[in-house]
Amino acid sequence: MTAFQEWFTDFSNLFYKCFIREDRYKLLLEGIGVTIKVSLLAVLIGILIGMLVALCNLSKRKLIRFFGSVYTDVIRGTPSVTQLMIIYFVIFATVDLDKWIIAAIAFGINSGAYVSEIIRAGILSVDHGQTEAGRSLGLNAFQTMTRIVIPQAVKNIFPALCNEFIVLIKETAIVGYVGLMDIQKAGDFIKSATFNAFMPLFGTAVIYYILIKILTLLLRRIEIVLRKSDIR
Amino acid sequence: MIKVKNLHKKFGDLNVLNGIDEHISPGEVVVVIGPSGSGKSTFLRCLNLLEDVTEGEIYVDDQLINTPKIDINKVRQKMGMVFQQFNLFPHLTIMDNITLAPVLLKKMTKDQAVKTGHDLLKRVNLADKAQAYPAQLSGGQKQRVAIARALAMSPEIMLFDEPTSALDPEMVGEVLDVMKDLARSGMTMVIVTHEMGFAREVASRVLFVDQGVIMESGTPEEVFSNPKNERTKLFLSKVL
Repeated sequence: MTAFQEWFTDFSNLFYKCFIREDRYKLLLEGIGVTIKVSLLAVLIGILIGMLVALCNLSKRKLIRFFGSVYTDVIRGTPSVTQLMIIYFVIFATVDLDKWIIAAIAFGINSGAYVSEIIRAGILSVDHGQTEAGRSLGLNAFQTMTRIVIPQAVKNIFPALCNEFIVLIKETAIVGYVGLMDIQKAGDFIKSATFNAFMPLFGTAVIYYILIKILTLLLRRIEIVLRKSDIR
Repeated sequence: MIKVKNLHKKFGDLNVLNGIDEHISPGEVVVVIGPSGSGKSTFLRCLNLLEDVTEGEIYVDDQLINTPKIDINKVRQKMGMVFQQFNLFPHLTIMDNITLAPVLLKKMTKDQAVKTGHDLLKRVNLADKAQAYPAQLSGGQKQRVAIARALAMSPEIMLFDEPTSALDPEMVGEVLDVMKDLARSGMTMVIVTHEMGFAREVASRVLFVDQGVIMESGTPEEVFSNPKNERTKLFLSKVL
């Protein structure tokens, strides 16, 4: 047997042991589901909170601006693991909600602080003349914001938002701390069960990589659609 | 139609408008001229409260508008405005630029608005641009779309804030033509401009503004050919 054949046999045996035996791949599939579920809901919550906080930070009223800045400050100033555990074990301790939903809320709250700064920058990037044009037609401030300013802001900040989503997906790898079986936790579980670190950890890495690659390609498509109005 | 009483506007410590009294009647085409920094644009922008007023009163259709008691959005719906920098919505097609406000404010159904939009685009000679985006148009075309967009709300009054100042010289004519057309149709218009030839031809009244007050007001004939105020004379000697 050549060295390569030997290595290949070892590798496939290891692969079999880690992913196929005892249906261990199912753990990972389940983990992918959890990661996707948590990330998607967290992104939605993050955008919603981000928009609200951005509007607070741009408000003319001092008190509202104060609330906005405290939110951003506290969330950015503490680790996301700590936040996740506080939200899971303290705030939602007695609330009967699915684990993954609580986790998504925690990540959404965290992401909201970062998204709010991105959105604030985006809104400021839209020329004030746009707001004036909207208001001069008789639209109220809210209609002007939602129909004229935000759509343009979104186009400007889309790459930064994509970046934030990608960071968020990887950030969810800590949900194991509150007992959710995501991709990372599944890999970890297989590592403990098989006493092998190499295969499950690299497997985990590859799965994350592929997920994010797919997302990146999708987002790039969306960006092209958003840039439709730039054709000259 | 518009009555302005003792209008003052301050930006911080800077006095821009120092007591303007003015009455604009339906169907009038009032052209506001004056040196830069004289306050003429600020005066125009106060008329639909894009600038808040420091002191004084503005009435539109005998209704006091610079008071929190009224819904300024309702007032603005009958006052179209055209800006120096066009301010078209770059993320929307030309048609969507025009139909956005009438549909959103429930003045028209989508179908009606699109039909009106086509009529308006025909009127400003841009019938073939309905599906284009603003970035694909020239400056003159953009400004004509901006006029069409304002007209889509069927306003009673149109305000123009230096509508040709950002245009290349060869495009000024096409925009002025649309405005002349509008004036002939009987629209009440207030126009801030540096186009003296246009003012002379189209205005029913010319206001000369300097140092935040109306220095002289009269027919184009009176103001251009026979100015009474020394400052008007000085200004006209520089621009004519």
